[in-house]
Amino acid sequence: MQPKAVDAANAFIATHSQVLQLPIFTPIPDLPALTKAAATLLPWTRAPSAAKSALMSTAAFSPSPISVSGLRLERGGKTLLTGFSLDVQPGEALVLLGPNGSGKTTLLRAMGGLVRPAAGEISLDPQSVAFLGHADALKASETVEQSLRFWAGLYGGDVTALDPVMVDMALAHLARRTCGTLSAGQKRRTALARIALSNRPVWLLDEPAAPLDARSRARLASLVRQHCEAGGIVIAATHVDLGWAGARVEDLRPAPTRTAAGVG
Amino acid sequence: MSALGAIFARELRLAFAGGGGPAGPAAFNLAALALAPLAIGPDADTLQAAGPGVIAFAALLATLQPAERIFSEDASDGTLELYALSPVGLALSVFMKTLAFILAVFWTTPLLAFVGGLAYGMDVTSAFVLALGLGFAAPGLAFIAAFAGALAAGLKRAGLLIALIAAPLQVPLLVFAAGAGRAAMDGTGLEGPNLMMALAGSLAALALAPFGAAAALKARLE
Repeated sequence: MQPKAVDAANAFIATHSQVLQLPIFTPIPDLPALTKAAATLLPWTRAPSAAKSALMSTAAFSPSPISVSGLRLERGGKTLLTGFSLDVQPGEALVLLGPNGSGKTTLLRAMGGLVRPAAGEISLDPQSVAFLGHADALKASETVEQSLRFWAGLYGGDVTALDPVMVDMALAHLARRTCGTLSAGQKRRTALARIALSNRPVWLLDEPAAPLDARSRARLASLVRQHCEAGGIVIAATHVDLGWAGARVEDLRPAPTRTAAGVG
Repeated sequence: MSALGAIFARELRLAFAGGGGPAGPAAFNLAALALAPLAIGPDADTLQAAGPGVIAFAALLATLQPAERIFSEDASDGTLELYALSPVGLALSVFMKTLAFILAVFWTTPLLAFVGGLAYGMDVTSAFVLALGLGFAAPGLAFIAAFAGALAAGLKRAGLLIALIAAPLQVPLLVFAAGAGRAAMDGTGLEGPNLMMALAGSLAALALAPFGAAAALKARLE
């Protein structure tokens, strides 16, 4: 075709399309069905609907109590903890407090079955654990929604809770952003949303609030409260005050007496 | 089953989106194929005779090239922990991930072998047999490279370790894939057994390497 003819055709379409209602410019008749099919096949095309904010309202957990006894943990040839014991009941939130290098992370990893303790017993099934480590396990090329949907599906979580959880963690507007473009706090919120969607009764959180601002910390606190009210267990390692009302605090400081202190 | 499918689909997507799919190893493979004749010399008969060996060797080197990055990111960003705690477990997750990675990254290997075979002066049938042999061998080569990558994940000088571990284990696959092409070219009638041996080696690697890789990664978590 001659360039002139192409120009003429384009000009014709541009000027007359609305008047003539050319088929190429009219909406595809069965658009809703098509969108639905696309949403099933390509989850990320689905728009997040901010319908309800009832997070985890249906899920109720009844994990068996966690009991740790006579635990000795070593890392790099150095003994971090020795003779450590701990009991956590369902519905309880526990904060492991201690300075850097006191063994908080190793303790959490041992409880999740990721590290074998040098001695002692841990009664906790790794299959009941949702684990949040230092890193957020997000892929730069994956969108927030893709990531959450994948992990929720893999962990047998409730995928229909995706939208409310994203609203609760203030992620709805980030759903289609790739994780590589998120800030540290936004990544952490995404990782916390993954935990909330995992449908696991025991949450092991390593420095969950480190990059979070005040409002996000409040969101985290409310997430934890709801999980505990549903009968779940939350164990968090931190060196800062998380501000969780009603949480028990366990001090891991290498002091001669290591006792559990009730707070709030 | 659907969980395994989900891991496969995700890793396939990540291999294409994040890792650039087959571009890196294919370019490496192609560069090796293009450079070898410059070193061997312009004699057509020599090139034809060297063809199957050079092409199989280039494919082997191309499988080592991305081995370091298969697991290093998962090891550093915490993905391995999540796979380990998932109902699927680390071994099957690693298996599906590696399978997806191989499909995404090494689907070009037989094509390059076929085109390379023709370019080196092999006839169409022998080039096809060589491509088939490398198609059979490539998953095994890549699984062995992935196993070495898992052992070396996150270590300094991982590349050196990968080459030292993977190369000896890859020898049988190299021998039989190249042997199939050479047998077809020389008309010895042994291409069938060579292809079968390449496939058998690949299946053995497929069955063993994921568990070795998972054990290595588990040890790394601790």
